[in-house]
Amino acid sequence: MIARAVVALLLLAMSGASMPGPAQTGTPRNEQYFPDVQLTTQDGARVRFYDLIKGKTVAIELIYTSCRFACPLETARLAQVQRLLGDRMGRDVFFYSISIDPEHDTPAVLKAFAETFHAGPGWTFLTGRRADIERLARRLGLYSTPNPEDKDGHVPALLIGNESTGDWMRASALDNPNMTATMIARWIAGYPAAASRSSLKSYTEARPVANLTSGQYVFSTKCSACHGLGEGPKVGPDLAGVTTTRTRAWLASYITDPQAMLQRGDPIAKALSAKYGAVSMPTLQLTDQQVQDVIQYLDRAR
Amino acid sequence: MSRFFLRENASRARLREAAAAQANRRDIVKALSWGQVSRRDLLKLGVFTGAGLLAPIRGLSPFASSAFAASDSNIPTGMPPSPLGGVRAFSQPLLRFDVLPHVPRLTPEPTLESNQTLQPVHDGLGGGQGPIEGRPPGPTWAHQGFSRFPPKVFVEVTQEGAKVNASYDPGCDAAHNSGVAGGTPCPPCFHPALPIQDDRAVWTFNGSVPPKLLIGRYGEPILFRHHNRLPVDLRRNRGFGRHTISTHEHNGHHGAENDGFTGAFFFPGQFYDYHYPILLAGVNSVNTSATDPRASAPDDDGHLTLVPGDWRETMSTHWFHDHMFSYTSQNVYKGNAGMFNIYSGLDRGAEDIIDGVNLRLPSGRADVTGKSWANLDYDVNLMLADKAWDRDGQLAFDIFDFDGFLGDVMTVNLTYKPFFEVEPRKYRFRILNASVSRFFKLALSDGSPIIQIGNDGNLLPAPVVLTELDEQGIAERFDIVIDFSRYQYGDKVWMVNLCEHDDGKGPKQNLSLAAALSGRSDDPCVGRFLEFRVVRELKQADLSQVPATLIPNPDLSNIPVARERVFEFGRGGKQTTFNDVTSFGGPWGIKTGGGDMLNADFGRISAAPKLGTREVWTLKNGGGGWDHPIHIHFEEGQVLARNGSAANVPPWERGRKDVYRLRPGGSVTITMQFRDFAGTYMEHCHNTVHEDNSMLLRWDVNPDGETVLTALQTPIPTPQGVTFIDPDDELPGARSGGGR
Repeated sequence: MIARAVVALLLLAMSGASMPGPAQTGTPRNEQYFPDVQLTTQDGARVRFYDLIKGKTVAIELIYTSCRFACPLETARLAQVQRLLGDRMGRDVFFYSISIDPEHDTPAVLKAFAETFHAGPGWTFLTGRRADIERLARRLGLYSTPNPEDKDGHVPALLIGNESTGDWMRASALDNPNMTATMIARWIAGYPAAASRSSLKSYTEARPVANLTSGQYVFSTKCSACHGLGEGPKVGPDLAGVTTTRTRAWLASYITDPQAMLQRGDPIAKALSAKYGAVSMPTLQLTDQQVQDVIQYLDRAR
Repeated sequence: MSRFFLRENASRARLREAAAAQANRRDIVKALSWGQVSRRDLLKLGVFTGAGLLAPIRGLSPFASSAFAASDSNIPTGMPPSPLGGVRAFSQPLLRFDVLPHVPRLTPEPTLESNQTLQPVHDGLGGGQGPIEGRPPGPTWAHQGFSRFPPKVFVEVTQEGAKVNASYDPGCDAAHNSGVAGGTPCPPCFHPALPIQDDRAVWTFNGSVPPKLLIGRYGEPILFRHHNRLPVDLRRNRGFGRHTISTHEHNGHHGAENDGFTGAFFFPGQFYDYHYPILLAGVNSVNTSATDPRASAPDDDGHLTLVPGDWRETMSTHWFHDHMFSYTSQNVYKGNAGMFNIYSGLDRGAEDIIDGVNLRLPSGRADVTGKSWANLDYDVNLMLADKAWDRDGQLAFDIFDFDGFLGDVMTVNLTYKPFFEVEPRKYRFRILNASVSRFFKLALSDGSPIIQIGNDGNLLPAPVVLTELDEQGIAERFDIVIDFSRYQYGDKVWMVNLCEHDDGKGPKQNLSLAAALSGRSDDPCVGRFLEFRVVRELKQADLSQVPATLIPNPDLSNIPVARERVFEFGRGGKQTTFNDVTSFGGPWGIKTGGGDMLNADFGRISAAPKLGTREVWTLKNGGGGWDHPIHIHFEEGQVLARNGSAANVPPWERGRKDVYRLRPGGSVTITMQFRDFAGTYMEHCHNTVHEDNSMLLRWDVNPDGETVLTALQTPIPTPQGVTFIDPDDELPGARSGGGR
């Protein structure tokens, strides 16, 4: 018994003892690191994960379309970043939104979701087998075990990386889109040639940042990704004059927990959901003070 | 958490991969459990790792298809165990810190504002021209106090890839450095028998080991010029570390432009001048005419130079390290860390000078060395860090590990489990936890007493005698005294780590001394890691002492509390930083008290204390079993309560600190003043993985002393110069109250 076990071990040790792996000349985060999984795009195409990132600068987020928390805001933010990156999208920068709820998020569902956010070329929404996605999410460091504070098992993190340089960083998907675009275009994608920098402003021209009220701040970080103020509907309705068309009580209740309003069957909430269908307004867990502040801001900004 | 078997919910792909290996594994486990083969046998055969787990060999382990073991394996690194090649513990001498020389001048001369002289920029960084100094230009980033506290000492360092140290200076003779003399060439390796580190694996100050020690004293401002000589090509980093850096002197009381702000980083080919005024906090409010001898610095002749400020704010042990946005953990791990001893009249580093001020802590005798301050003979800096390396023995890091990275190799001053020769007398050790995510709990192997004299580099009001130190969080400095006079010539005693981890969340448990010494722990960094050898008789009498009173706390009774704030640290979407520099949080965030009008700026400022006031801050752990050592820059604080009660504050925390361990589910209430300098500072979790992802926030001290904030634009460094991004693009321009 011992002998057999030991012989088996020796054979194993000799045959497999050398770890499969690259010579460590560059990045270890290559084909051997990422799991070899197949994913399906919103257009139904089957792709290999590694092909999606190989040689590219990428930003990867985890989402699920029925998310009642941060995903819609995350994706709306990324849409803003996409606009800032302009024609680099699809050329050297690619966005990937991977669903962690693949049973519900079929390609068709993802396609509708993507269209709500006006996702352009270079931005792919992906689904696949749950176990594969979980494995991938773990390897990317984006997975988090659901716990009481973090019920949906993911966090609004954005993984930005350049596979060819092996440079990866984790950023927030909810950050100021200018900052995210800067991180992608300037830090990760490589340094742009000096000539193309003419659009950057000199630091000596910088003025102190305007002193914002809490309401302005809440609006700009939480709301403006999906709502305009006089710009027409974006992902959600335009909010110019909303304090004249809705009561303050209704607004306070809705902003605090739109998902709960919808579930209770509130008629206005239902109408909004029918009109803006594919994505419903997430519950952003604002404090009561923040809700009051943002309503005050909306009131003044008529 | 031991998992020899595939988990039930593993993917089918993994199960298929491992199917062939299962039979083999079952045999092994059966043989093991029947006692027919021992773990040691299996270890020798290369089947088990030192941590007692199945090695990730193809055909045996389900994780073998990856180059790195999956992060959910219970090998702490999430990587294959670092090959040690049979190197024995305690077979090399500890290399004491390498003292940075003071140079007579810097060329070009340091300037008040950033030196924007242009130079060509390497094509790999975008070409064109860029400034020689990476500090943001203009008056906002000028050195505060430059004319009032002009630099008197100049230090010039580089950050570059590993190379041999040809100018090692331990600051003492060979007898006090286990026989290693200054000038001995030090190759960049963790042990003479371990591989030389590649210049892409280790990046550190002057490219060399041992780590660097800055020496300074009050009243003698230092200009620290840091040249970035890291590779232009990002890829030349063996997969971790970034070539842009920003240096934080932890925990200096200086202007924010010199604090290593995370967004004020600089590029290869540039330098950044850091101006450290080295002054006592309260310089503008307490003892302003410098008449108190306890507020002083040692001069070269055995006397004192009086300085203004509050002598109760005297600091002793700092460190400096990288603070690059999103890459701090990688860069610090890669070698961007050093220590800084600050000398004062009270703590002058000469144990024989009796002047009514000098505390005469173990350091060295001026009458023997001829140096009246900064004697290092019996005052030893120890930097503890857990490292890991890849199959080639090169330093490696798992940058995707979310919870916190743990290394499996214990190093002191970047040497693997060394020995240190001591005389049978008192020694002071300045111990820094420089790991990424690991906590340490230290004791001596025979349970002998250790005297703790300082916490976070500040001497305590009174020393505390312990047989085990408290858990030491990342970046905490514990200054201790060990009296080796109880040992005989020829004796050995070891420093032991009792704090066991199995993931980067926080300590799993603290073992008893016996358990830690037994070798049974799965955590390779538990147990003995530093051997003290008593090697000779005492030649000169030990004149040092540990007085019953060291440095009392500043008296704040007459300073009203201007404001109280609450910060909650933890995980999940609810807890966010309103800060567009550091991002909205990876999974980690900081929640500042709700309904707080002062926080209402463009999210880059989460708190804005008024210059010249005092506040009380409560730092709460958001729960979930995590522990967070929270570090607040710029000022030291006093711990008023733990979990709401002053009685919960242990004696060794009753001094001044700057890193506050929250403990799982706990809270710490501190009081801080905000004096002398204004600008932008940081508050963050010092588990650098949490920090990077992104448990960090910015707070400002408003220079005008008003409650209205003038926030600063975020600097966006580029090789061609620092610019900014317009932060309020999203706000509608045409609306009133719209923020333009």
